[in-house]
Amino acid sequence: MKHSSIMLSFCAAGSLFLAGAQSAKVATPAPAGTLRLISSLPRTGSANAQTNTMVNGIKLAIDEVGGQVDGWKIEYQDMDDASPQRGNWDPAVEAQNANAAVKDDECVAYIGTFNSGAAKVAIPILNRAGLVMVSPANTYPGLTKAGFGEANEPLVYRPSGKINYFRVVPTDDLQGVEAANWAQFLKARKVFILNDRELYGKGIADVFRKQAEKLGLEVVGFEGIDSKAANYRSLATKVKATSPDLVYFGGTTQSNAGQVAKDLRSGGYEGMFMVPDGCFEQAFIEAAGAANLNDKTFVTFGGLPAEQMTGKGAAFCTAYRAKYDADPEAYASYGYEAARVVLQAIANAKTKDRAGVLAAVSATKDFDGVLGKWSFDANGDTSSRVMSGQTVHEGNFKFVKVLGN
Amino acid sequence: MTMRWRPGPIFIILAIAAFIPLLDQVLPAKMQLSEAIRGVFLYAILALGLNVVTGYAGLLNLGIAAFMAIGAYTFGILTCEIYPFQLGFWPAIALTIPIGALAGFILGAPTLGLRGDYLAIVTLGFGEIVQDVLKNLDVVTKGTQGINPLPAPNFGGGEWTAEDEYKWYYLFFVLLVLTVLAIRNLERSRLGRAWFSIREDEIASRSMGIRVERIKMIAFATAAAIAAFAGGLSASVLSSTGEPSNYDFQISILALCIVIVGGIGSIAGVLVGALVMVGLNSIVLVKATAWMAAHGIGGQGNVLLSPNNWKYLIFGLALILAVRLKPNGLLPPRIERAHK
Amino acid sequence: MLDYQVFLQQLITGLSNGMIIALIAIGYTMVYGIIELINFAHGDVFMLGAFLALTLLGALGMEAWGPTGQVFGVLLMLIGSAVFCGGLNWSLDRLAYRALRKSSKLSLLVSAIGCSFVCMNLGLFWGGVPMKVFADGNSAAAPKDFPAIIPQINLLGDGFLRITPADLLVFAVTIPLMVALTFMVKRTRLGRAMRAVAQDPTAASLMGIPVDRVIGATFFIGGALGGFASVIYSLYNNTIGFQMGTRAGLDAFTAAVLGGIGSLPGAVLGGLTIGCVRSMSDQYLETRWTNTIVFCILVLILIFRPSGLLGSNRREKV
Repeated sequence: MKHSSIMLSFCAAGSLFLAGAQSAKVATPAPAGTLRLISSLPRTGSANAQTNTMVNGIKLAIDEVGGQVDGWKIEYQDMDDASPQRGNWDPAVEAQNANAAVKDDECVAYIGTFNSGAAKVAIPILNRAGLVMVSPANTYPGLTKAGFGEANEPLVYRPSGKINYFRVVPTDDLQGVEAANWAQFLKARKVFILNDRELYGKGIADVFRKQAEKLGLEVVGFEGIDSKAANYRSLATKVKATSPDLVYFGGTTQSNAGQVAKDLRSGGYEGMFMVPDGCFEQAFIEAAGAANLNDKTFVTFGGLPAEQMTGKGAAFCTAYRAKYDADPEAYASYGYEAARVVLQAIANAKTKDRAGVLAAVSATKDFDGVLGKWSFDANGDTSSRVMSGQTVHEGNFKFVKVLGN
Repeated sequence: MTMRWRPGPIFIILAIAAFIPLLDQVLPAKMQLSEAIRGVFLYAILALGLNVVTGYAGLLNLGIAAFMAIGAYTFGILTCEIYPFQLGFWPAIALTIPIGALAGFILGAPTLGLRGDYLAIVTLGFGEIVQDVLKNLDVVTKGTQGINPLPAPNFGGGEWTAEDEYKWYYLFFVLLVLTVLAIRNLERSRLGRAWFSIREDEIASRSMGIRVERIKMIAFATAAAIAAFAGGLSASVLSSTGEPSNYDFQISILALCIVIVGGIGSIAGVLVGALVMVGLNSIVLVKATAWMAAHGIGGQGNVLLSPNNWKYLIFGLALILAVRLKPNGLLPPRIERAHK
Repeated sequence: MLDYQVFLQQLITGLSNGMIIALIAIGYTMVYGIIELINFAHGDVFMLGAFLALTLLGALGMEAWGPTGQVFGVLLMLIGSAVFCGGLNWSLDRLAYRALRKSSKLSLLVSAIGCSFVCMNLGLFWGGVPMKVFADGNSAAAPKDFPAIIPQINLLGDGFLRITPADLLVFAVTIPLMVALTFMVKRTRLGRAMRAVAQDPTAASLMGIPVDRVIGATFFIGGALGGFASVIYSLYNNTIGFQMGTRAGLDAFTAAVLGGIGSLPGAVLGGLTIGCVRSMSDQYLETRWTNTIVFCILVLILIFRPSGLLGSNRREKV
């Protein structure tokens, strides 16, 4: 037992020394010249397809301002919150990224995360450091709004008492409701609801179910799928046996929406199929096979699609196409919007440091963005209520209508 | 303790680890290591647990992450303000150990009669079942939402936050040292010798009067308890249980790789294995991609040019090379296993 | 629809899925039988086979071929993927496993895990670069559509019960393969050599059997079966992705153990059991509990039959 006591005294001495060293290390203001945006998104594994377009959007936004704002050089760091052994977001890596961003004196904004679960880890860390976080993808309502998640939400994400977390995407509680309304408008009477058992998919499916019941639609089934299964033939048979008019799937391309659509068709189901914005990307059509989706598939999205946009949005589409030789997808617009909000805030900030940028982001008002003209509300949510409905026509998304009116 | 004391490899490794935060004081912020090394400690504790069952008792366990999940969720449910228990850090973290052991008993009791790889698949299946149960029983576990916030230890002053990284570092360090000491004592006890004995020859052990089932069961429960403890710690430092799939098969596989690459049955080996495997993932690959990105190397247009797309390959090659060059591990146990 | 129709439909689905799992499981169980390696890379070799099939299909423009041409195309993919996967599996043995024959089983296992990661990464690259040849905008990690050149139409007309050409294909390919394999193992020289090596490698080599070559051949055959399975899987499910190998491998491993690891008929029985349990659980219980039920049944079976359904109940060697 001799060496253990030696070890213990070592640590005690070490921590005392360090405690002193740490408090001596005062947070210095950013040296004049460089400000850094850090994004933390799952870059390894299955979400890579979606995050690529998001990073493209962020890079485009920075390029458009020429990589500088008011004489300050804007740098961008693309962090990965996934690890190879997980192939998906990893909470330890997310915490590590958030801590690294906090330590990086030049970092003034954190763009992320992709998964709401990762946001739960990152927000409190960044909140204590007063670093603004803008998410291009989190839709779990409890992160910002009271009454939708647990009783202690969203206050647990604000240990400093201030709000540092903002998001440019509408939350599940809005999109799920609009989706159910649209289902009723499409004359669906019996709906079968599927979800991928993930935070996003399950959340939005729960909201859809609640609203559908409220509207008097008959919910003939509610099932959570295994997103790694090879196929859903047996589930398709079960769905077909209840003969619904519409099947709603709460999930993403990543959680196998393509296979679900495919198997519903090959299992003989011929009715409507509706999915949320996690599937609003070409990869979904490619995974599902256009023939399985055409004209009977409906996609909701928190904003207007590329071809419907005018002004800023139209310019974004042109620029995106020119730079990446591809149409901007839902996630590209979200990424671009998040980065632009931050860039504009940097321009408006009185002091070009974390506090200044945070104040400027929270003051964002009537922002002329690609998702419409919107402001951040008191919770940090976008005020934009523009939801659009798409269908798939001849292998491409086709705008149908603005939802909610 | 009359022998002259010579520092063994375990002591040297731990002694070096004790100084990492000092090193951080001179390194630039981007090169600091202590947070990543803290992650290494966590996996080292997990892998030390696995080492008991797989290294000492010779039972292949492919579901160790399930016990980590049980520990994390136990800690979450016992402490989080949305549940009625609301214990503090210390009582809750202490309770993860018996609850983990209990889970080990529950899995172990009906299945320990199984031979080698049949047991392996049952442990694997248990890992899947635990994940599904945590996901599906959302009334209790909050499903994929995760449970947060979770308490941190508190020594008189305010509760620690993520910014108290050196306090966390030394907490994990001390707990790792305690785990190492506990396991080393077990290893040298009568029980440890019984584990080695059934690993080398079950039938001979049985005829020597060792109660094989009972001894196996203890190995299983010990491993489960240690893994659950690691799970509780992980949840506390993240202030969240994460979601059930954060404790999936891949984590069990990583723990197994740590044990085998390090040197199965060797405590020092497991420590080195954790440093190499987790360090590769969360230090080398992370810093390398950040460096490449900062210097404009790589891009997104082509799948081959993005450094992130090479991570599986590098990780896989590292595993292949490690066992090829050092089939018995980087630091195998001093006593050679009887050749099989 | 009537209750018995639903049941029959689920049975058909379960058997089709089970057959595919069984075909992968045979490759697993053969390799296990001969060197006691849980070949974690097997699922990923299978995944690469599917990518090769998709590449062949796209590069040769098979979608445009007529029905007869497509039958020929399927044969071509089957042969191509089988040879490719067989060769790949053989190479993995040569490069990553052979040197570890004398080491512990667990180092071999880690080497196989390493190979699995490497193969998965190759699948990611493959899904990104050459896939642009015949589809735009495909991101590397996204799932890929595998064109349904075997149509998913109902051969029984408009009734509730559906049997598709893809269902038939599964049976038409897997059953002859299983018969041929059983014949090979039981009757040919190579088969006897394989069984001899599985019993005792040292004794086998003393009897003049080239042990390393026999093991290599086993890897080739196991891989080739994975290759066949990958084409069937792709034509049946019509989606492939670089991470599909993990789940396929796990299912196959479970099937192999359930049936009695090392036993070929056991692997088939195990695969069919899992397929049917899955579809019945999806229908009559809840989908979200299906995996739990599969593993609970596995544990129950193993408690009563510790060596699997058809495994030999031999004691471990002393």
